[in-house]
Amino acid sequence: MSHFYHFDTLSLHAGQTVDPEFGARATPIYQTTSYVFPDTDTASSIFNLERGGHAYSRITNPTVGVLEQRIAALEGGSATVCTASGMAATYCAITAILGQGDHIVASSQMYGGNISLMKNTLPRFGITATFVDPLDIDGFRSALQDNTRLIYGELIGNPGLDILDLEAIVKISADNHVPFMVDATFNTPYLCRCFDFGVNITIHSVTKWMGGHGLAIGGAIVDGGNFDWGATDKYPTITEPYAPFQGINFWEEFGPSAFATRIRAEAMRDFGASMSPMNAFLLLQGIETLSLRMDKYASNTRQLLDHLSNHKQVSWVSHPGLTSHSSYELAKKYLPKGAGSIVSFGVKGGRDAGKAFIENLQLASHLANVGDAKTLIIHPATTTHGRIDAEGLVAAGITEDMIRLSVGLEDVADIKADFEYGFRAAEKFASS
Amino acid sequence: MYFEVNGKRVFATTGGKPFDSSLSCVIFLHGSGLDHTFWGLYTRFFAFRKYSVLAPDLPGHSHSEGPPLKSIEEIGDWLNEVVETLDINNISVVAHSQGVLNALEFVSRHPQRVRSVSLIASGLATPVNPALLEAAANSPEDAIAMMVGWGFGPAGHLHQGPIPGSSMVAAGLKVMRGNAPQALAADLQACNAYRNGKQAAAKIGVPVQVMLGGQDRMAPRQATTELVKHLDSPEVHIIPESGHMVPQEVPDKCRDLLKVFIYTNNPAT
Repeated sequence: MSHFYHFDTLSLHAGQTVDPEFGARATPIYQTTSYVFPDTDTASSIFNLERGGHAYSRITNPTVGVLEQRIAALEGGSATVCTASGMAATYCAITAILGQGDHIVASSQMYGGNISLMKNTLPRFGITATFVDPLDIDGFRSALQDNTRLIYGELIGNPGLDILDLEAIVKISADNHVPFMVDATFNTPYLCRCFDFGVNITIHSVTKWMGGHGLAIGGAIVDGGNFDWGATDKYPTITEPYAPFQGINFWEEFGPSAFATRIRAEAMRDFGASMSPMNAFLLLQGIETLSLRMDKYASNTRQLLDHLSNHKQVSWVSHPGLTSHSSYELAKKYLPKGAGSIVSFGVKGGRDAGKAFIENLQLASHLANVGDAKTLIIHPATTTHGRIDAEGLVAAGITEDMIRLSVGLEDVADIKADFEYGFRAAEKFASS
Repeated sequence: MYFEVNGKRVFATTGGKPFDSSLSCVIFLHGSGLDHTFWGLYTRFFAFRKYSVLAPDLPGHSHSEGPPLKSIEEIGDWLNEVVETLDINNISVVAHSQGVLNALEFVSRHPQRVRSVSLIASGLATPVNPALLEAAANSPEDAIAMMVGWGFGPAGHLHQGPIPGSSMVAAGLKVMRGNAPQALAADLQACNAYRNGKQAAAKIGVPVQVMLGGQDRMAPRQATTELVKHLDSPEVHIIPESGHMVPQEVPDKCRDLLKVFIYTNNPAT
């Protein structure tokens, strides 16, 4: 028998050993900073990475560990490190392998925080980035420099929703021996397991669809275990001795989990962006129903796309599930169960109409998040991407009239009815 | 570290300490299609307790130059060349699965430097299912799925494990993919062809420890019983909750048993 558990089963059980003392069926919340060692030998061996175990919750925690192992199982990764937020995950993952003088080739269509990190913050530490249109595959190749150490993108670009051609970019990354890191927040492993297409590392804001309830902020870095760090001298943080751990060589000792172990040993210790056990518990509750929710998101999204596409006050609708979208074919290939539940659309009448639409909704929430169980809506040009200059907005595919909708799990008839309040308020601007 | 044996480059992890041949040494032998990372929860532990540690990748596996060796007997002789090249004495051998067969041949043919042997999850022979042999040569993904699927017990399949955040199953799949098809197929063929287990086991004159998983589906209890029968008074430990991958599935128990046994029979020098 060579049976492997399937996605839904892993969503419920992976990573959890039933509490041996009291038999608690749910994952206990280990709300503790630290752990009593049985003896000094055990203590020193945990500190020296000789054995598994917990010393201090900034580095590891049993509740967070269950979440990490569950995400690794769902993604098919060799190891996961959870962080305080998705941005912490991105920062910790990048700085684990890049330093002064290194370079990133990144998709131009990403969450504003990611763009700002690479455009404004990392250059202060000597790490630069070149941004490339996510559909311009040759652009990824030509943007590579001798000092390029990473290719980065979001599978479903935010907010333009263009889809990365994973296999094409994997080929470029493999040809040049540079890892390919993908922010998989919008797809989750239910819609696409990026490692199946050769991606090396995934990043998640688990705050979004993975958690799905909007209760807790969190991030995850998943090591695909499929990058040969030792085939080149480009990645000394993985392949050279690391003095703070008595000269440990992560690649030599941890092989497919070398990258994740480096993050655990350095980023969690030195930067300390750890996830709280309570948040890990809440996020685990969300993941238990991931596939059910993602299917419902997909169903609601399809119905709303149909509704908006035929609405007289909507000037345009964008979603990779529409044949009119530039990424329609890529979405069919990489996201056959649904191309996510973010929809962009324009309300006739431009910026003022969009403002009136948002302000007159009664059910949808006007806020800066996506992937909640509830329908969310926002105007990216003045909020999430408000710090991006005009040129950057164009590169990110953002227009002044764009409304970003994160489709929720409500009855879709109620979402449609709610939108009518907004459309009625926006109507007066349509003719002006 | 890298070194050369018969003109071929060999990799072995030394557990994070420079290799020192003057110390008592623990040599870890991996199973079919795997590599030194299988022993990650042991190598560093012993290296930081005054032992020299050597966990080699067999020829053609992961970082060691190929081609893979074709028989268990060849591997036994190759291990002796490793030991002679590095001039290691006072050796404790720790072996898992196919590594047990390799250890039987190595220790029975070249007993001079060995002080103890720990044999985990194997019998005297490893007859391989023809479907698995065929898959290893022609459809390695199927072979890997069979081996990892059968190899791990319930805890492994639910991605539970001793290292927070890590998935033993996924890591095993990655290592095996890197060693397929050539090394994996060669390993399984070597196992299937091996017939000398009884004779080799009977020749072992140093203390022997045997461990087996109560839920092992790859090395059934009957096979391990045969092994025990042909060894001279081994100490035997059955770990009920473990599948075939004892060193990974129950590392704390396994490490404690190894520690006591090796400390007793091959003290650190």
